[in-house]
Parts: sequence; C-alpha cells; structure tokens
Amino acid sequence: MLVFVVWCFVAIGRQIHVTEYGLHHGGDYFARLFPRSQADWRYALRLGPDLWQPLIETIQMAVVGTVGGMLLAFPVSFIAARTGSIPGPVIAVVKSFLNMARAVPTLIYALLVIPLAGLGAQTGAIAIGIATFITLAKLYAEALESVSVGPIEAVRSAGGNAPQVFVYAMLPQVFPLYLSTTLYSLEYNLRDSFVVGIVGAGGLGQKLSNAVNLFEWLDAGVIIALVIVLVNIVDYFSYRVRKMFS
Amino acid sequence: MPNAIAIENLTHAYKPGVPVLRGVNLHIEPGEIVGLIGLSGAGKSTLLRCVNGLVKQTGGTCTVLGEAVETLPEGRKRLLRRRIGMIFQEFNLMERLTVRKNVLIGRLGYTATIPSCLHRFSAADVRLAEDCLAQVGLAGLEMRRVRDLSGGQKQRVAIARTMAQGAEIVLADEATANLDVLTKDDIMGLLQNLSREKKVTLLLSMHDLPLAKRYCTRIIGLKQGRITFDAAPDALDDHAIADVLDRLPPSGMG
Repeated sequence: MLVFVVWCFVAIGRQIHVTEYGLHHGGDYFARLFPRSQADWRYALRLGPDLWQPLIETIQMAVVGTVGGMLLAFPVSFIAARTGSIPGPVIAVVKSFLNMARAVPTLIYALLVIPLAGLGAQTGAIAIGIATFITLAKLYAEALESVSVGPIEAVRSAGGNAPQVFVYAMLPQVFPLYLSTTLYSLEYNLRDSFVVGIVGAGGLGQKLSNAVNLFEWLDAGVIIALVIVLVNIVDYFSYRVRKMFS
Repeated sequence: MPNAIAIENLTHAYKPGVPVLRGVNLHIEPGEIVGLIGLSGAGKSTLLRCVNGLVKQTGGTCTVLGEAVETLPEGRKRLLRRRIGMIFQEFNLMERLTVRKNVLIGRLGYTATIPSCLHRFSAADVRLAEDCLAQVGLAGLEMRRVRDLSGGQKQRVAIARTMAQGAEIVLADEATANLDVLTKDDIMGLLQNLSREKKVTLLLSMHDLPLAKRYCTRIIGLKQGRITFDAAPDALDDHAIADVLDRLPPSGMG
C-alpha cells in the first residue's frame, strides 16, 4: 500500500515544473480575481443585478434535481433493500445497477443529457436529478436495511398491515437518516449545479465559464465569492434542520 | 371450554437441519398464566412468535382462539393478531412518539389504513387509550414522549397497548428482564390483574424463576426445543430446575 502511494506521488511529482514565469503569472491571475481599486469595487457591485438570474437558476437546478431524484429514489429503495419482502435476485440486480451508475460523475450525465435536452438549466437539473436518484436510492435502501425489527414486530403483533408497519415502525427510524442524506445531497447538488453549468448547463457555472474564457477575472472572482457564500448559507441551514431532527 | 392455545407436534427451523422447536405439544386454557422457562436458545421466543404467526412454523399445528394460524392467509392472520397482544424485553415502543400514540398503535388493527397512516384515530379510541393508561398508572403522561420514560413506565405503556388492543391472549418475551426487582413485581402484578379481571391468557417467557413461581399458575420447561417440564409452580423443585436448565439452581430458589 505504502509503495503504491509513494509511486503515485513520484509519478505526479515528476510532472510538476515550477518556473519563474508560471509563479509570476499564476499569482497575477489569482490577484486579478480580487478588486484592487475603488473602480474595481464599483464594477464588482454593479455586476450584482446581472448575476441575480444565474444565481437563482443555480439554486433552482439544485432544488429540482434533489427533489426529483428523491421522489424517484424513494420507491426504488424498497426494491434495493434486504428487508425480507423482495426476492434476493431482484435486489442484487437493482443494487448492481445503482453501484455501477454511481461510478459515473454528474458532469458526465450532463454531457450525455445536453444532446437530448439542449444547453441550459433544464439539462443541469436532469443530470443532477439522475445522480441524486442513484445516490439516494442506495442510501435510502441502506437506511431501510438498518431498521431494527423490534418495532416492526410490535406493530405487526398489534394487527398492523404493511403501510401501518411502514408509517409507525419504519418511518420514525429512517426519517432522520432520510432527512440528513437528502440535505447532504442538496448541499452537494448546489456545488454540482455550479460545475455542470461550466459545460453549458446554465446558472452561475456557465457565467463563470464565460468570464474565464473572456479573461474577465474580476467577474470570475465575484461569481466564485457568490458560490462560496451560497454554499455556506445552505450548509448552515441544512445543519440546523438536521440537528433539529437528530 | 375450548383451549386458548392448542399446539400439536410443532416444529420450526430457521435453517434446514437446525431445528429450534422439535415437536412441541401444549394446551393452554383461557385465563391461565403460563411461565415458559429454559436456557437461551431453548426456543422460547420462537414458540411465542409461532403463536401469533410472526414466525411461520415448519411443521405441526398451532390453533389459537379456535383458528389454525398456519392455514390463515395474511389478512386473516392480522385479524387474529389483534386478539393477541405482545410485549417485549426491549419494549419495542416508538421512542419518538407520545405515550398516547404508542397505546393507539394497539388500535391499528381496528382502524382503516389511510386515517391511521395520517395518525388519525376516532375519539372513542383516544378515550380508550387514555383509560388504559390510567389503569396502568400512567394518567397524566399521555403527551410525554416515550424516550423520556423509565424502563418500568415503558413496559406499562406496552401493557396499556395490549389492553387497548382488547387482547384475549398476551405473549410476553422476557418482559421483565431489563427491569429492577421492584419494577419486575409491579409489571407482573399488572399482568396478573389483567388475567384475573379480564380472563386474559398469559404466556410469558421468563428467566427469573422465583418471579415465575410467584405469579404463574403453570410452568413449562423448554429444553433444546422440547417440553421437558409441565406442572404447577410448586412442582418446580431443585431437581426439575436442574433438569431444565442443565445446572443446579442457586440455593433457596427451588
């Protein structure tokens, strides 16, 4: 294992060539991301209204993708969970599909969806939805498998039927897990909606891509700052909600 | 009077070739308080779960309240389970729900699926739940969350649930094992009252032999899936205990 890690470091290390030119210009590009004069500050503040729409689009992509993926993942998780009610071979097929599909990053789904849905936020939302569905179906199934059988036995022994067993014995056990995985998913999707935007799926990501291509470094800096603020706000509220139900 | 429970040559194996129950024959009259004793793994919990059909037996017959459990389709089995309450060592209550809601779980078998899944119960059911809670000494704690209760209080909630269910038979799987000495007596006293006042039949798996002798009207010893002792508590002497448990009892127990 250690030999493997050292081999990786050596291979990558050989490709690093630090030159005076690179250091100077890299630092220069980085510095240009920040406002350096009063005129720069005024320009950055004026960018606000232009970025409002892409910002909302980024949030919409993340929300639509997360909720859509969640709604699909919920029923599928029942046929991917070993709870004794679904035949083993069916579970094996569904789980294998989910595991294989999980290996594909959201960005690849976006590239595959672009020819079908065209450029724009709808493509980003679909790609995020697919990735969320795959991740949540697997995590929801694992939550269902971790349910303790005691409460299930209690509800069944009171004459409860399958929906009542789910609502009274399983849901109270899996709800905190469902909630936390879904909120984590929303946080990741917000970052992903930014990334898929770079390949043309709309939102702030697309704005960033355009800014970098046109060497508008200050515009890029403002967009990155907006994303950092947005992600942190969502992380904070997600943390508060998860804490409330834990 | 017909038997509350009639078991003939009952067998069960979770894995083929590894039997847990090996031909159990047992007849229990209504209103009996039967203590089921035996080592861990003797088959006590499995036997209880065969009675209410939570576990499907491998062979033999199990007739409960006049119905052959093994032949019932799932829908009819659910109707039968309404008449058989069950309480557990780990309580198996819904910790996040209120005390009253946990008792109302006993009414699920009588409530239509959609309203019950929306946590809606009739006013009569709510009154019944509160009445049952008062009978087990928990009046005033209806809206408390179960996770905030002590072990003894939780087991009282479980008993109230079986009462709300209108159970004619109560199965108890090590129901007092996690409780202190005084609370064990309280819980057994409540169960004994239930049997005396409402003619409820009790089948209780227990490890506490003095407690079993004090409260049960009949003791069944289960050893490696077979009944090796079946008599009144007085007959449970040192010799019988040594035979069922494969070891001598602590002094003064027989």
